[in-house]
Amino acid sequence: MSDVLAEIDREVKENPVVVYMKGTPRFPMCGFSAATVEVLNEIGVPFKAIDILTEAEKREGVKAYTSWPTIPQLFVGGKFVGGCDIVRELHAKGELAPLLRKAVGRG
Amino acid sequence: MVDPDEVRRRLEAELPGARIEVANPAGDGEHLEVQVASPAFAGLGLVEQHRMVYAALGDLMPRIHALQLRTTAEGESAR
Repeated sequence: MSDVLAEIDREVKENPVVVYMKGTPRFPMCGFSAATVEVLNEIGVPFKAIDILTEAEKREGVKAYTSWPTIPQLFVGGKFVGGCDIVRELHAKGELAPLLRKAVGRG
Repeated sequence: MVDPDEVRRRLEAELPGARIEVANPAGDGEHLEVQVASPAFAGLGLVEQHRMVYAALGDLMPRIHALQLRTTAEGESAR
């Protein structure tokens, strides 16, 4: 488990925007993952997506890393932002786009 | 699946004074929509607010297939 945690830690710190999801951005396998990707696409920033159905060890790994019980999980600038409901709420408030653009250097 | 009333009871026990709505729109106890407005959320970020709800639900969490959650600090306007 500690290897997985170290890899997740590296992943979220090396990439400005990372989402752990079920399925892929083109073929999401869960409504919450689909909705999260939809928000990211709408804002239009590049992001790294990790399919926890393919990389199965990260399914429990990322939950342990954040102490957060559900997938998807969004990280921006190495920090955990939240799951689907929080992503949608921050987007509705107009707070997500500036956070993302700043992280990818388009602020 | 879970009993939506059990979800409500757990939340009421852990977050006294909260306004709680538990909807079970598909009627299957698998896809729940939960809204919680609590003064205990004041000053906390959404991540911390959601964590408190997850903690209150405890062992129910893995038994809920899909939980849509909305939290507000009491006193904030719920949109």
